[in-house]
Amino acid sequence: MAKLKLGSYWGAACGGCDTAILDVHEKILDLDAAADILFWPIAVDFKYKDVEAMPDGHMDVVLYHGAIRNSENEHIAHLLRKKSKVMVAFGSCAHLGGIPSLANLYDKKQIFQYVYHDSPSTVNPAGVEPQPTTKVPEGEITIPIFYDTVMPLDFVADVDYYVPGCPPTPKQIWNVVEAILTGNLPAKGSVVGASSKTQCDECHLKKNEKKITGFKRIATAQPEQETCYLEQGFLCMGPITRGGCDTRCQLSGVPCRGCYGPVDGVLDMGAKAISAIASVIEAKDEKEIEAIVAQIPDSLRTFNRFAIGASLLRRKTL
Amino acid sequence: MTFEPKIVGILCNWCSYTGADLAGTARVKYPPNVRVIRVMCSGRVDPTFVFKAFADGADGVLVAGCHPGDCHYIEGNYKALRRMKLFQKMLADYGIEPARFRLEWVSASEGERWAKIVSEMTEELRKLGPARLRQPRKNRAATSAA
Amino acid sequence: MKRISIDPITRLEGHGKIEIFLNEEGGVENAYFQIPELRGFEKFVQGMPVEEVPRVVSRICGV
Repeated sequence: MAKLKLGSYWGAACGGCDTAILDVHEKILDLDAAADILFWPIAVDFKYKDVEAMPDGHMDVVLYHGAIRNSENEHIAHLLRKKSKVMVAFGSCAHLGGIPSLANLYDKKQIFQYVYHDSPSTVNPAGVEPQPTTKVPEGEITIPIFYDTVMPLDFVADVDYYVPGCPPTPKQIWNVVEAILTGNLPAKGSVVGASSKTQCDECHLKKNEKKITGFKRIATAQPEQETCYLEQGFLCMGPITRGGCDTRCQLSGVPCRGCYGPVDGVLDMGAKAISAIASVIEAKDEKEIEAIVAQIPDSLRTFNRFAIGASLLRRKTL
Repeated sequence: MTFEPKIVGILCNWCSYTGADLAGTARVKYPPNVRVIRVMCSGRVDPTFVFKAFADGADGVLVAGCHPGDCHYIEGNYKALRRMKLFQKMLADYGIEPARFRLEWVSASEGERWAKIVSEMTEELRKLGPARLRQPRKNRAATSAA
Repeated sequence: MKRISIDPITRLEGHGKIEIFLNEEGGVENAYFQIPELRGFEKFVQGMPVEEVPRVVSRICGV
Protein backbone atom coordinates (compact mmCIF):
# COMPACT_ATOMS: atom_id res chain seq x y z
CA MET A 1 0.00 0.00 0.00
CA ALA A 2 1.36 3.41 -0.90
CA LYS A 3 2.56 5.47 2.00
CA LEU A 4 0.41 8.42 2.98
CA LYS A 5 1.93 11.72 1.85
CA LEU A 6 1.77 14.08 4.80
CA GLY A 7 2.59 17.74 5.27
CA SER A 8 2.46 19.94 8.34
CA TYR A 9 2.88 23.67 8.49
CA TRP A 10 2.68 26.54 10.95
CA GLY A 11 1.19 29.99 10.43
CA ALA A 12 1.29 32.34 13.40
CA ALA A 13 2.09 29.44 15.66
CA CYS A 14 4.17 28.53 18.67
CA GLY A 15 5.36 25.01 17.86
CA GLY A 16 3.12 23.52 20.54
CA CYS A 17 1.06 21.60 18.00
CA ASP A 18 4.21 20.16 16.42
CA THR A 19 5.45 19.17 19.87
CA ALA A 20 2.07 17.58 20.59
CA ILE A 21 2.41 15.49 17.44
CA LEU A 22 5.85 14.37 18.61
CA ASP A 23 4.36 13.62 22.02
CA VAL A 24 2.73 10.51 20.61
CA HIS A 25 6.16 9.13 21.61
CA GLU A 26 6.95 5.72 20.19
CA LYS A 27 3.86 5.79 17.97
CA ILE A 28 5.80 8.26 15.79
CA LEU A 29 7.54 5.19 14.42
CA ASP A 30 4.16 3.81 13.34
CA LEU A 31 3.46 7.16 11.72
CA ASP A 32 6.82 7.02 9.96
CA ALA A 33 6.06 3.53 8.69
CA ALA A 34 2.71 4.60 7.30
CA ALA A 35 3.48 8.08 5.99
CA ASP A 36 6.08 10.07 4.09
CA ILE A 37 6.50 13.55 5.47
CA LEU A 38 6.93 15.92 2.57
CA PHE A 39 6.93 19.24 4.38
CA TRP A 40 7.33 19.99 8.11
CA PRO A 41 9.54 22.99 8.89
CA ILE A 42 10.10 22.15 12.55
CA ALA A 43 11.38 18.68 11.78
CA VAL A 44 12.49 18.28 8.15
CA ASP A 45 14.36 20.46 5.69
CA PHE A 46 11.91 20.91 2.81
CA LYS A 47 11.54 24.39 1.38
CA TYR A 48 8.60 26.33 -0.09
CA LYS A 49 10.01 25.76 -3.57
CA ASP A 50 9.78 22.00 -2.98
CA VAL A 51 6.07 22.41 -2.29
CA GLU A 52 5.65 24.71 -5.30
CA ALA A 53 7.22 22.03 -7.49
CA MET A 54 4.71 19.36 -6.42
CA PRO A 55 1.78 18.54 -8.69
CA ASP A 56 -1.59 19.83 -7.45
CA GLY A 57 -3.23 17.57 -4.88
CA HIS A 58 0.03 15.68 -4.42
CA MET A 59 -0.04 15.50 -0.63
CA ASP A 60 -2.80 13.39 0.86
CA VAL A 61 -3.14 15.33 4.10
CA VAL A 62 -1.80 18.67 5.26
CA LEU A 63 -2.05 19.70 8.90
CA TYR A 64 -2.05 23.49 9.12
CA HIS A 65 -1.60 24.93 12.58
CA GLY A 66 -1.18 28.50 13.64
CA ALA A 67 -3.40 31.43 12.74
CA ILE A 68 -3.36 33.71 9.69
CA ARG A 69 -1.51 36.79 10.90
CA ASN A 70 0.32 37.95 7.80
CA SER A 71 0.44 37.58 4.02
CA GLU A 72 2.92 34.69 4.15
CA ASN A 73 0.61 32.65 6.40
CA GLU A 74 -2.17 33.26 3.89
CA HIS A 75 -0.04 32.62 0.83
CA ILE A 76 1.25 29.29 2.15
CA ALA A 77 -2.30 28.33 3.21
CA HIS A 78 -3.38 28.81 -0.43
CA LEU A 79 -0.32 26.94 -1.69
CA LEU A 80 -0.82 24.00 0.64
CA ARG A 81 -4.53 23.89 -0.18
CA LYS A 82 -3.63 23.58 -3.85
CA LYS A 83 -1.05 20.86 -3.25
CA SER A 84 -3.14 18.71 -0.91
CA LYS A 85 -6.22 16.52 -1.06
CA VAL A 86 -7.27 17.03 2.56
CA MET A 87 -6.49 20.15 4.58
CA VAL A 88 -6.89 19.99 8.33
CA ALA A 89 -7.12 23.07 10.55
CA PHE A 90 -5.02 21.71 13.40
CA GLY A 91 -5.09 23.29 16.84
CA SER A 92 -6.98 26.28 18.26
CA CYS A 93 -5.17 28.87 16.17
CA ALA A 94 -6.10 27.38 12.80
CA HIS A 95 -9.53 26.31 14.08
CA LEU A 96 -10.61 29.53 15.79
CA GLY A 97 -7.83 32.12 15.71
CA GLY A 98 -6.43 30.99 19.04
CA ILE A 99 -4.16 32.98 21.30
CA PRO A 100 -2.73 35.14 18.48
CA SER A 101 -6.26 36.41 17.82
CA LEU A 102 -6.17 38.12 21.23
CA ALA A 103 -4.22 40.69 19.22
CA ASN A 104 -7.50 41.58 17.49
CA LEU A 105 -8.11 43.95 20.39
CA TYR A 106 -5.40 46.07 18.82
CA ASP A 107 -4.38 46.84 15.26
CA LYS A 108 -1.15 46.82 13.27
CA LYS A 109 -0.38 50.45 14.05
CA GLN A 110 -0.73 50.00 17.80
CA ILE A 111 1.24 46.77 17.82
CA PHE A 112 4.08 48.17 15.73
CA GLN A 113 4.16 51.33 17.82
CA TYR A 114 4.70 49.35 21.00
CA VAL A 115 6.98 46.64 19.66
CA TYR A 116 9.28 48.85 17.60
CA HIS A 117 9.15 52.14 19.50
CA ASP A 118 7.56 52.32 22.93
CA SER A 119 8.45 49.11 24.73
CA PRO A 120 10.94 49.60 27.59
CA SER A 121 13.43 47.19 26.02
CA THR A 122 13.27 48.61 22.48
CA VAL A 123 16.33 50.55 21.34
CA ASN A 124 15.42 52.06 17.99
CA PRO A 125 16.67 55.67 17.76
CA ALA A 126 16.18 55.77 13.99
CA GLY A 127 12.55 54.66 14.38
CA VAL A 128 12.92 51.80 11.93
CA GLU A 129 9.86 49.66 11.26
CA PRO A 130 9.72 46.47 9.19
CA GLN A 131 8.74 47.19 5.59
CA PRO A 132 7.36 44.64 3.14
CA THR A 133 10.07 45.55 0.63
CA THR A 134 13.51 46.86 1.40
CA LYS A 135 16.07 47.98 -1.17
CA VAL A 136 19.56 46.76 -0.43
CA PRO A 137 22.69 47.41 -2.54
CA GLU A 138 22.37 43.92 -4.05
CA GLY A 139 18.69 44.07 -4.92
CA GLU A 140 15.39 43.87 -3.06
CA ILE A 141 14.42 41.74 -0.07
CA THR A 142 10.88 41.14 1.15
CA ILE A 143 8.99 40.15 4.26
CA PRO A 144 5.25 39.47 4.59
CA ILE A 145 2.61 42.14 5.10
CA PHE A 146 1.28 42.22 8.68
CA TYR A 147 -2.52 42.15 8.72
CA ASP A 148 -4.65 44.21 11.12
CA THR A 149 -6.83 41.21 11.96
CA VAL A 150 -5.87 37.64 12.81
CA MET A 151 -7.98 35.01 11.07
CA PRO A 152 -8.60 31.30 11.52
CA LEU A 153 -7.57 29.11 8.58
CA ASP A 154 -11.04 28.73 7.08
CA PHE A 155 -11.26 32.43 6.37
CA VAL A 156 -8.62 32.04 3.68
CA ALA A 157 -8.79 28.42 2.56
CA ASP A 158 -11.28 25.60 2.23
CA VAL A 159 -10.85 23.41 5.30
CA ASP A 160 -11.82 19.73 5.34
CA TYR A 161 -11.49 18.96 9.04
CA TYR A 162 -10.83 20.70 12.33
CA VAL A 163 -8.76 19.27 15.18
CA PRO A 164 -9.28 21.49 18.22
CA GLY A 165 -7.07 22.12 21.23
CA CYS A 166 -4.24 24.26 22.44
CA PRO A 167 -2.59 21.97 21.67
CA PRO A 168 -4.69 18.91 20.75
CA THR A 169 -3.85 16.08 23.13
CA PRO A 170 -1.41 13.43 21.82
CA LYS A 171 -4.09 10.80 22.47
CA GLN A 172 -6.56 12.60 20.22
CA ILE A 173 -3.87 13.31 17.64
CA TRP A 174 -3.27 9.60 17.39
CA ASN A 175 -7.03 8.98 17.03
CA VAL A 176 -7.06 11.43 14.12
CA VAL A 177 -3.99 9.83 12.52
CA GLU A 178 -5.62 6.40 12.77
CA ALA A 179 -8.85 7.74 11.28
CA ILE A 180 -6.85 9.18 8.38
CA LEU A 181 -4.86 5.98 7.84
CA THR A 182 -7.97 3.78 7.87
CA GLY A 183 -9.95 6.25 5.76
CA ASN A 184 -12.47 6.50 8.56
CA LEU A 185 -13.22 10.21 8.50
CA PRO A 186 -16.66 11.78 8.98
CA ALA A 187 -18.36 14.34 6.73
CA LYS A 188 -16.29 17.21 5.40
CA GLY A 189 -16.21 20.17 7.73
CA SER A 190 -16.45 18.11 10.91
CA VAL A 191 -14.48 18.61 14.05
CA VAL A 192 -12.44 15.46 14.67
CA GLY A 193 -10.31 14.32 17.58
CA ALA A 194 -12.80 15.60 20.12
CA SER A 195 -16.09 14.70 21.75
CA SER A 196 -19.42 16.07 20.53
CA LYS A 197 -20.43 16.76 24.14
CA THR A 198 -19.29 19.49 26.48
CA GLN A 199 -16.58 19.31 29.14
CA CYS A 200 -19.22 18.91 31.85
CA ASP A 201 -20.01 15.47 30.48
CA GLU A 202 -16.44 14.27 31.25
CA CYS A 203 -15.69 16.37 34.31
CA HIS A 204 -15.15 14.53 37.59
CA LEU A 205 -16.32 17.37 39.85
CA LYS A 206 -19.53 17.04 41.83
CA LYS A 207 -22.34 18.99 40.29
CA ASN A 208 -25.16 20.42 42.40
CA GLU A 209 -27.41 23.32 41.60
CA LYS A 210 -25.89 26.35 39.99
CA LYS A 211 -26.81 29.62 41.65
CA ILE A 212 -23.97 32.08 41.26
CA THR A 213 -24.08 35.03 43.62
CA GLY A 214 -20.65 36.37 42.80
CA PHE A 215 -17.63 35.66 40.62
CA LYS A 216 -14.18 34.75 41.86
CA ARG A 217 -10.82 34.81 40.12
CA ILE A 218 -8.14 32.19 40.52
CA ALA A 219 -5.68 35.06 41.02
CA THR A 220 -7.25 35.81 44.38
CA ALA A 221 -9.11 32.69 45.48
CA GLN A 222 -8.46 28.97 45.52
CA PRO A 223 -11.08 26.69 43.95
CA GLU A 224 -12.24 23.90 46.21
CA GLN A 225 -11.30 20.65 44.53
CA GLU A 226 -14.39 18.45 44.87
CA THR A 227 -17.23 20.60 43.51
CA CYS A 228 -17.98 22.21 40.18
CA TYR A 229 -15.82 25.32 39.77
CA LEU A 230 -18.61 27.28 38.12
CA GLU A 231 -20.88 26.67 41.09
CA GLN A 232 -18.21 28.17 43.32
CA GLY A 233 -18.19 31.29 41.15
CA PHE A 234 -15.08 30.63 39.10
CA LEU A 235 -15.50 31.28 35.40
CA CYS A 236 -15.26 27.82 33.92
CA MET A 237 -15.93 27.58 30.21
CA GLY A 238 -16.79 23.89 30.56
CA PRO A 239 -20.50 24.26 29.74
CA ILE A 240 -19.80 25.45 26.21
CA THR A 241 -16.48 23.83 25.47
CA ARG A 242 -16.12 20.64 23.51
CA GLY A 243 -14.81 17.68 25.49
CA GLY A 244 -12.26 15.10 24.45
CA CYS A 245 -9.18 16.46 26.20
CA ASP A 246 -9.65 14.33 29.32
CA THR A 247 -10.43 17.50 31.29
CA ARG A 248 -6.73 18.09 31.92
CA CYS A 249 -7.26 21.56 33.33
CA GLN A 250 -10.05 20.61 35.72
CA LEU A 251 -7.97 17.67 36.95
CA SER A 252 -5.11 20.09 37.59
CA GLY A 253 -7.31 22.24 39.79
CA VAL A 254 -8.20 25.08 37.43
CA PRO A 255 -11.37 25.86 35.51
CA CYS A 256 -11.59 25.05 31.80
CA ARG A 257 -10.40 27.90 29.58
CA GLY A 258 -12.17 26.82 26.42
CA CYS A 259 -9.29 25.79 24.16
CA TYR A 260 -11.20 22.94 22.53
CA GLY A 261 -13.63 25.41 21.08
CA PRO A 262 -17.41 25.28 21.18
CA VAL A 263 -19.67 22.32 20.54
CA ASP A 264 -21.58 22.06 17.26
CA GLY A 265 -24.12 24.68 16.39
CA VAL A 266 -22.38 27.54 18.18
CA LEU A 267 -21.72 30.55 15.96
CA ASP A 268 -19.89 32.64 18.52
CA MET A 269 -18.21 31.02 21.51
CA GLY A 270 -18.04 34.20 23.59
CA ALA A 271 -21.73 34.92 23.05
CA LYS A 272 -22.75 31.38 24.00
CA ALA A 273 -20.53 31.48 27.08
CA ILE A 274 -22.23 34.66 28.28
CA SER A 275 -25.62 33.14 27.60
CA ALA A 276 -24.86 29.97 29.54
CA ILE A 277 -23.21 31.60 32.51
CA ALA A 278 -25.63 34.53 32.82
CA SER A 279 -28.55 32.15 33.04
CA VAL A 280 -27.22 30.70 36.30
CA ILE A 281 -26.56 34.00 38.02
CA GLU A 282 -28.83 34.20 41.04
CA ALA A 283 -30.07 37.79 41.04
CA LYS A 284 -33.13 39.66 39.82
CA ASP A 285 -32.41 43.23 40.78
CA GLU A 286 -30.69 45.29 38.09
CA LYS A 287 -28.19 46.90 40.45
CA GLU A 288 -27.38 43.54 42.02
CA ILE A 289 -26.77 42.02 38.60
CA GLU A 290 -24.55 44.94 37.63
CA ALA A 291 -22.48 44.48 40.79
CA ILE A 292 -22.01 40.75 40.09
CA VAL A 293 -21.09 41.36 36.44
CA ALA A 294 -18.55 43.99 37.53
CA GLN A 295 -16.63 41.23 39.29
CA ILE A 296 -15.58 39.79 35.93
CA PRO A 297 -12.29 41.49 35.05
CA ASP A 298 -12.40 41.31 31.26
CA SER A 299 -15.27 39.72 29.41
CA LEU A 300 -13.85 39.21 25.93
CA ARG A 301 -10.59 37.68 27.14
CA THR A 302 -12.41 35.45 29.65
CA PHE A 303 -15.36 34.17 27.62
CA ASN A 304 -13.64 34.04 24.27
CA ARG A 305 -10.00 33.39 25.01
CA PHE A 306 -9.25 31.18 22.03
CA ALA A 307 -11.91 32.12 19.52
CA ILE A 308 -11.86 35.88 19.01
CA GLY A 309 -10.67 35.45 15.43
CA ALA A 310 -13.68 33.24 14.69
CA SER A 311 -16.23 35.35 16.58
CA LEU A 312 -19.00 37.14 14.73
CA LEU A 313 -17.43 40.56 15.14
CA ARG A 314 -13.86 39.19 14.73
CA ARG A 315 -12.06 42.16 16.21
CA LYS A 316 -12.34 45.24 18.38
CA THR A 317 -13.45 48.40 16.59
CA LEU A 318 -10.83 51.07 17.11
CA MET B 1 -28.79 62.08 1.58
CA THR B 2 -29.04 61.64 5.35
CA PHE B 3 -27.89 58.43 6.93
CA GLU B 4 -30.76 56.13 7.87
CA PRO B 5 -29.71 53.87 10.74
CA LYS B 6 -30.74 50.24 10.48
CA ILE B 7 -32.05 49.09 13.85
CA VAL B 8 -32.87 45.44 14.46
CA GLY B 9 -35.55 45.04 17.12
CA ILE B 10 -36.04 41.73 18.92
CA LEU B 11 -39.36 41.89 20.71
CA CYS B 12 -41.13 39.46 23.02
CA ASN B 13 -44.47 38.24 21.77
CA TRP B 14 -46.56 39.04 24.85
CA CYS B 15 -45.78 42.57 25.97
CA SER B 16 -43.39 44.45 23.75
CA TYR B 17 -44.60 43.21 20.35
CA THR B 18 -48.15 44.04 21.36
CA GLY B 19 -47.00 47.44 22.58
CA ALA B 20 -45.28 48.11 19.26
CA ASP B 21 -48.38 46.92 17.45
CA LEU B 22 -50.44 49.39 19.50
CA ALA B 23 -48.22 52.21 18.27
CA GLY B 24 -49.27 51.13 14.79
CA THR B 25 -53.01 50.84 15.39
CA ALA B 26 -52.98 54.13 17.28
CA ARG B 27 -51.35 55.72 14.22
CA VAL B 28 -48.44 57.11 16.27
CA LYS B 29 -45.88 58.67 13.94
CA TYR B 30 -42.35 57.45 14.46
CA PRO B 31 -39.26 56.71 12.31
CA PRO B 32 -39.41 53.50 10.23
CA ASN B 33 -35.84 52.47 11.06
CA VAL B 34 -36.61 49.45 13.21
CA ARG B 35 -36.89 45.98 11.66
CA VAL B 36 -38.77 43.85 14.19
CA ILE B 37 -38.14 40.17 14.90
CA ARG B 38 -40.71 38.58 17.20
CA VAL B 39 -39.60 35.99 19.77
CA MET B 40 -41.81 34.39 22.39
CA CYS B 41 -39.85 35.81 25.30
CA SER B 42 -36.97 38.22 25.79
CA GLY B 43 -35.34 35.34 27.67
CA ARG B 44 -34.98 33.63 24.28
CA VAL B 45 -32.60 36.30 23.10
CA ASP B 46 -29.17 34.74 22.82
CA PRO B 47 -26.33 37.27 22.69
CA THR B 48 -25.39 35.48 19.46
CA PHE B 49 -28.47 37.03 17.79
CA VAL B 50 -27.33 40.52 18.72
CA PHE B 51 -23.75 39.97 17.54
CA LYS B 52 -25.09 38.45 14.34
CA ALA B 53 -27.31 41.47 13.75
CA PHE B 54 -24.27 43.72 13.98
CA ALA B 55 -22.14 41.41 11.86
CA ASP B 56 -24.90 41.40 9.23
CA GLY B 57 -24.89 45.20 9.02
CA ALA B 58 -27.16 46.55 11.75
CA ASP B 59 -26.26 49.96 13.14
CA GLY B 60 -28.11 49.30 16.38
CA VAL B 61 -30.02 46.55 18.15
CA LEU B 62 -33.01 46.98 20.44
CA VAL B 63 -34.20 44.10 22.63
CA ALA B 64 -37.56 44.59 24.31
CA GLY B 65 -39.43 42.50 26.84
CA CYS B 66 -42.05 42.61 29.56
CA HIS B 67 -41.47 44.69 32.67
CA PRO B 68 -39.74 42.77 35.50
CA GLY B 69 -42.39 40.80 37.34
CA ASP B 70 -44.73 40.71 34.34
CA CYS B 71 -43.06 38.08 32.19
CA HIS B 72 -45.52 35.68 30.61
CA TYR B 73 -43.09 32.88 31.47
CA ILE B 74 -42.44 34.32 34.96
CA GLU B 75 -38.63 34.53 34.92
CA GLY B 76 -37.67 34.90 31.26
CA ASN B 77 -37.06 38.63 31.34
CA TYR B 78 -34.75 38.26 34.34
CA LYS B 79 -32.64 35.87 32.31
CA ALA B 80 -32.68 38.45 29.52
CA LEU B 81 -31.54 41.14 31.95
CA ARG B 82 -28.62 39.04 33.19
CA ARG B 83 -27.57 37.98 29.72
CA MET B 84 -27.80 41.47 28.30
CA LYS B 85 -25.83 42.99 31.16
CA LEU B 86 -22.97 40.59 30.46
CA PHE B 87 -23.44 41.21 26.77
CA GLN B 88 -23.12 44.96 27.22
CA LYS B 89 -19.80 44.40 28.96
CA MET B 90 -18.55 42.34 26.01
CA LEU B 91 -19.89 44.87 23.52
CA ALA B 92 -17.80 47.53 25.26
CA ASP B 93 -14.76 45.23 25.04
CA TYR B 94 -15.37 45.05 21.29
CA GLY B 95 -15.11 48.85 21.22
CA ILE B 96 -18.71 49.44 20.19
CA GLU B 97 -20.54 52.53 21.43
CA PRO B 98 -22.99 51.55 24.22
CA ALA B 99 -25.77 53.57 22.56
CA ARG B 100 -25.91 51.01 19.75
CA PHE B 101 -27.60 48.47 22.02
CA ARG B 102 -30.66 48.96 24.20
CA LEU B 103 -32.63 46.65 26.42
CA GLU B 104 -36.08 48.11 27.17
CA TRP B 105 -39.17 46.93 29.01
CA VAL B 106 -42.29 47.80 27.04
CA SER B 107 -45.74 46.71 28.17
CA ALA B 108 -48.64 45.91 25.87
CA SER B 109 -50.21 49.30 26.54
CA GLU B 110 -47.06 51.37 26.00
CA GLY B 111 -47.42 52.15 22.30
CA GLU B 112 -46.42 55.79 22.73
CA ARG B 113 -43.41 54.78 24.78
CA TRP B 114 -42.29 52.31 22.11
CA ALA B 115 -42.48 55.05 19.51
CA LYS B 116 -40.48 57.38 21.74
CA ILE B 117 -37.76 54.75 22.31
CA VAL B 118 -37.39 54.09 18.60
CA SER B 119 -37.33 57.81 17.76
CA GLU B 120 -34.67 58.50 20.39
CA MET B 121 -32.53 55.58 19.31
CA THR B 122 -32.80 56.50 15.63
CA GLU B 123 -31.62 60.04 16.28
CA GLU B 124 -28.78 58.92 18.53
CA LEU B 125 -27.57 56.45 15.90
CA ARG B 126 -27.92 59.04 13.16
CA LYS B 127 -25.44 61.17 15.09
CA LEU B 128 -23.11 58.24 15.74
CA GLY B 129 -23.11 57.18 12.11
CA PRO B 130 -23.01 53.72 10.56
CA ALA B 131 -21.61 50.93 12.73
CA ARG B 132 -19.66 49.43 9.81
CA LEU B 133 -19.42 46.05 11.51
CA ARG B 134 -20.57 43.98 8.56
CA GLN B 135 -18.39 40.91 8.23
CA PRO B 136 -17.99 38.63 5.22
CA ARG B 137 -19.58 35.24 5.57
CA LYS B 138 -17.05 32.63 6.56
CA ASN B 139 -16.27 29.59 4.41
CA ARG B 140 -17.53 27.25 7.06
CA ALA B 141 -21.08 28.53 7.32
CA ALA B 142 -22.20 25.26 5.78
CA THR B 143 -20.28 22.94 8.07
CA SER B 144 -21.16 21.43 11.43
CA ALA B 145 -18.43 23.42 13.14
CA ALA B 146 -20.29 26.61 12.31
CA MET C 1 24.52 38.78 -9.04
CA LYS C 2 23.43 35.28 -8.04
CA ARG C 3 20.91 35.03 -5.26
CA ILE C 4 20.30 32.04 -3.02
CA SER C 5 17.10 31.97 -0.95
CA ILE C 6 16.75 29.68 2.02
CA ASP C 7 13.03 29.83 2.73
CA PRO C 8 11.94 28.74 5.23
CA ILE C 9 14.73 27.92 7.67
CA THR C 10 13.89 24.64 9.27
CA ARG C 11 14.36 22.40 12.29
CA LEU C 12 13.90 25.17 14.83
CA GLU C 13 10.95 26.97 16.34
CA GLY C 14 10.04 30.09 14.46
CA HIS C 15 9.95 31.53 11.00
CA GLY C 16 12.98 32.84 9.20
CA LYS C 17 14.52 33.24 5.81
CA ILE C 18 18.00 33.89 4.53
CA GLU C 19 18.92 35.71 1.31
CA ILE C 20 22.49 35.24 0.13
CA PHE C 21 23.95 37.36 -2.67
CA LEU C 22 27.03 35.97 -4.45
CA ASN C 23 29.52 38.11 -6.35
CA GLU C 24 31.15 37.29 -9.72
CA GLU C 25 33.79 35.05 -8.16
CA GLY C 26 31.15 33.04 -6.30
CA GLY C 27 32.01 34.47 -2.89
CA VAL C 28 29.40 35.86 -0.58
CA GLU C 29 28.86 39.56 -1.26
CA ASN C 30 26.21 39.92 1.42
CA ALA C 31 23.73 37.80 3.36
CA TYR C 32 20.47 38.89 4.99
CA PHE C 33 18.68 37.04 7.78
CA GLN C 34 15.02 38.03 7.98
CA ILE C 35 12.31 37.27 10.51
CA PRO C 36 8.99 37.22 8.64
CA GLU C 37 6.86 36.89 11.76
CA LEU C 38 5.52 39.00 14.56
CA ARG C 39 2.53 38.20 16.73
CA GLY C 40 2.62 41.13 19.16
CA PHE C 41 2.30 39.35 22.51
CA GLU C 42 4.03 42.23 24.29
CA LYS C 43 1.21 44.48 23.17
CA PHE C 44 -1.85 42.30 23.47
CA VAL C 45 -1.20 41.16 27.02
CA GLN C 46 -1.79 44.75 28.06
CA GLY C 47 -5.01 45.03 30.01
CA MET C 48 -5.23 41.28 30.46
CA PRO C 49 -6.22 39.82 33.85
CA VAL C 50 -3.01 38.83 35.61
CA GLU C 51 -3.90 35.15 35.99
CA GLU C 52 -4.21 34.89 32.20
CA VAL C 53 -0.80 36.28 31.36
CA PRO C 54 1.40 33.26 32.25
CA ARG C 55 -1.01 30.98 30.41
CA VAL C 56 -0.99 33.16 27.31
CA VAL C 57 2.73 33.94 27.07
CA SER C 58 3.49 30.22 27.30
CA ARG C 59 2.14 30.20 23.72
CA ILE C 60 4.99 32.36 22.54
CA CYS C 61 6.90 29.13 22.21
CA GLY C 62 5.12 25.82 22.63
CA VAL C 63 8.31 23.86 22.42
